Amino acid sequence: MKKLFVNTRYLIVPAMSVVTILGLLSGGDYVWTGVILFGLCVVIDTATKNIHLRADFDENGNSYGIKFFQYGVMYLMLVVFIALQLALAWKIYQYVNATLFDVVNVYGLTIQNGITTTNLIGAVISAGLWAGIGIIYGHELSHNKKEGFFMSRLIMSLSGASHFTYAHVYQHHLDLAHEDDPATAPRGRNVYMHTWLSHAGQGKFSFELEKSRLKRQGKSFLSLDNRWILGYLYSLPSVILFVWAGGLFVGLAALLTLWLIANFELEALNYMGHYGLIREKGKPVEYRHSWDNDSVFTDWFFIAIGRQADHHVRGETYFWELDDVKGPNYGIGYFSLFLITLIPPLFRSYMKKHLDNWDSKYATEEERNIAKQYNY
Amino acid sequence: MFNILKKKDLKFNVKLEPSNKEIVLKSGENLLTTALAQGIKWPHKCRVGSCGTCKCKVLEGKVKAEIDFANVLSPEQIQQGFVLACKSSPKTDLKILINLI
Repeated sequence: MKKLFVNTRYLIVPAMSVVTILGLLSGGDYVWTGVILFGLCVVIDTATKNIHLRADFDENGNSYGIKFFQYGVMYLMLVVFIALQLALAWKIYQYVNATLFDVVNVYGLTIQNGITTTNLIGAVISAGLWAGIGIIYGHELSHNKKEGFFMSRLIMSLSGASHFTYAHVYQHHLDLAHEDDPATAPRGRNVYMHTWLSHAGQGKFSFELEKSRLKRQGKSFLSLDNRWILGYLYSLPSVILFVWAGGLFVGLAALLTLWLIANFELEALNYMGHYGLIREKGKPVEYRHSWDNDSVFTDWFFIAIGRQADHHVRGETYFWELDDVKGPNYGIGYFSLFLITLIPPLFRSYMKKHLDNWDSKYATEEERNIAKQYNY
Repeated sequence: MFNILKKKDLKFNVKLEPSNKEIVLKSGENLLTTALAQGIKWPHKCRVGSCGTCKCKVLEGKVKAEIDFANVLSPEQIQQGFVLACKSSPKTDLKILINLI
């Protein structure tokens, strides 16, 4: 029974993603389903912020997690995220072709054909919010075997962010909490600026990494062996789909908006994970170099991606085995914190006490000295 | 199917040179994680295959690589048998060259 619970509690995102797709397919006001579900998550996450659970192991110290099942779900999520884009493309197709408004019944599902401009906006935001959640699978798979790594690239490419897989493993984990890591936000930077800087910085790193690898192997940069180029080519089917469905104006604008929302979510997670934390170059990554977000809903929804402290020290560990390691902890979940980050003055004020606490209780003398350079 | 179930129970002996220490890994277990859990002071840092600190040379036997080592190791090093312990699991008994801390 415990095994069943541990393995099914991480199915919140698959379930809500499917409901979002059904909302898009149903049409009418139901296209806003994804937005409403996201709002519901904010409420649940905030209401349960004080519940913090540990990872579950049996009496012999073995995890209850079933690797075959969890990987099966993560691989299947690629199909779900493709379906999400197909559903949105279909609504865009109806919009640009001014499909007549009518109601049909398909296998018990009431479908409203035709879509208004307002509802099209809702459909794009709904799809964008849930496409962005794909990061949790793209992230977990980036740390695993070759086929898992490839699946991570495909999932991230649906959000135009396949560079993430390389940059996360080969740069973020190495340069974490140091100014060399574009995914770590220094004190004083807001989430909007961080989104652009982190995205561009990680893209540049992936470019340089591939350039150097191909040079070492004596291969040309301009080839199909180039994984940096291939990553962007994986996004091409999405571009073709949306341009076909809605043309260069509506179709491409919708896809770019979806990518913008998804990448904003991705970078917001990076932002919240390490904001303002400091590590000397070359010193080992310790628990104190990450912020933990492990309230119960965040933990289950984001497949434990909020257990950053443990993850960055034991990067080879599966998400269902990550635990509370008493690192710095916001004490609230990602959804609640995400809302705070959207208002930079509020976030700075909220973080002041956390950073002061980090400086006095966690930082080394050298890290404290570096911290003095920042006026935040 | 039954072979897959049996494979889980396979155990491999890993000899470390020049320390002459020995560890035992089950099939699928990570080389670095298991070594650390068994008290071996294996040099390491990132544990995700990006820094190269846990690099070691396979003198005998075969390992399963869990990521592409080419982003960290040169083609010559890979040819010489170098692997990253944090992203390797044994396929056979192993003899490994690693300077422990």
